[in-house]
Amino acid sequence: MRDRTHGLVDARPRPGGIAPVLLMAGGLMLAACVAPVWAAERVPFAARAGLDLAKDAARSWASDAALVYLENDEPLDATGAAARWGYLFYSPTQDKARVYSLRDGKIVVAEYLDMRFEAPPVTGDWIDSRAALEAAERGGGREFREKHAGTLGTMLLMRGAFAEDDPDQTTWTLIYTAPGAPSLFIVVDASEGKVRRTWRG
Amino acid sequence: MDRAPHHPIRRAGRLPAIVLAAAVLGACASAAAAQTVTEVKVERVKPKQEEQPTLRFLKENKDFIRARFDLLREKTRTRQVEGTEIDPRFLTYQKMLGEIQAGRDSMVVANSAQQRLELFTSVTQLGALESRLDVMERLLDEQRERLGVIENDFTGDQETALLVVVTGHPNGTLTGIDLALDDRAPISVPLSTEQCSTLRRGGTVEVFHGFVEPREQIIKLSVASDRWAAGESGYVILYPTRDHLSLLRLDLSGMDAGRGAPSIQASTWLHSAGTPSGER
Repeated sequence: MRDRTHGLVDARPRPGGIAPVLLMAGGLMLAACVAPVWAAERVPFAARAGLDLAKDAARSWASDAALVYLENDEPLDATGAAARWGYLFYSPTQDKARVYSLRDGKIVVAEYLDMRFEAPPVTGDWIDSRAALEAAERGGGREFREKHAGTLGTMLLMRGAFAEDDPDQTTWTLIYTAPGAPSLFIVVDASEGKVRRTWRG
Repeated sequence: MDRAPHHPIRRAGRLPAIVLAAAVLGACASAAAAQTVTEVKVERVKPKQEEQPTLRFLKENKDFIRARFDLLREKTRTRQVEGTEIDPRFLTYQKMLGEIQAGRDSMVVANSAQQRLELFTSVTQLGALESRLDVMERLLDEQRERLGVIENDFTGDQETALLVVVTGHPNGTLTGIDLALDDRAPISVPLSTEQCSTLRRGGTVEVFHGFVEPREQIIKLSVASDRWAAGESGYVILYPTRDHLSLLRLDLSGMDAGRGAPSIQASTWLHSAGTPSGER
């Protein structure tokens, strides 16, 4: 497969090297201290679970605001759930994009996107993150993880940017990373739950 | 509902604002007494909010994604699109109106009959009048039901909103209040002589009424008064509850230049009273 990432960067830290090991050890010690608190406060949820609250907030900001993008803001678990998701809305009348990041049923971040982002709205019937993950796992994700000791780093939902054949399509894009190996990108049709594209880069 | 950005729900004149605030407060006074009224502290220093990164992938790859969108805008695609279905509720309203109209026609016919039968005995006339009254009563019932359906559909859902009111007048002058909600342009609310008089008499003045995001927010306020140090600001943290009207009352009566923002007594509660069922 040829690299069609065009310099895409996965911002999340990748495993590999001594630094992550030290970090992990420190993290485990810290986790031992704060695990009960963390467990009580940070419950992973699927992407759709936070949509209604995010929509309510967006409509109080701008009545024409529509969801254009979403992404996990904290690590994903094996079911496609994350403790925090970021929902990005765009208002044509204001020509602004505003993001709401939700955790534990509350909006913990609300801010304007500091860049111009005139994106088309995603379709309303998109499958939830769990179904998208299941499709991606069947479509090469599981094999990648097992072969390269990889992890799923990012899930994002948007329309157009990653579906070259049908730019009108809303898609989930899942990005698997592994130490010392190119990342695996899997694009899943968000309406039908079918894998449309995969590539390494 | 058309909402301007950072939008007060209404920007009516001052007198209606006073009346509205008084009406809302009056209407929910008994409810508020039963509900939880929470005292909130007005701080001198803006509370710090936890900063958490969001949409990291998007921000790291913004140039690529924007370039993709730019390409998308240059493409022209023709597509067959089906027409949007009409909301069945609108068809129902029309049907209900048609039925009422039919009932009205029946009454017109009855009226004509009434005129032709002027020579009927008084007992017969009374019977006809009673029948007409029944028809009118039925029409009123149907109209009441129709209005109830419309009200439920369009006014039944409370959205997240905030109403900020002030009460009390400090010793000295008071000419206005400045408010700024998170991420919003500050608003200045000058207070007229009449409004100050209202505050002195124990009345209430509305300074903000608008839709807000259901999340923790910091409200910055400052008061134009000789009891308020120039350049000073106060900060209140609120968490407007989703799909409810939250009220914030700022009591200025104890305002003191020496103590600054904390001398304002602030309290908040939820307005949860709905439309009385008897009016539906």
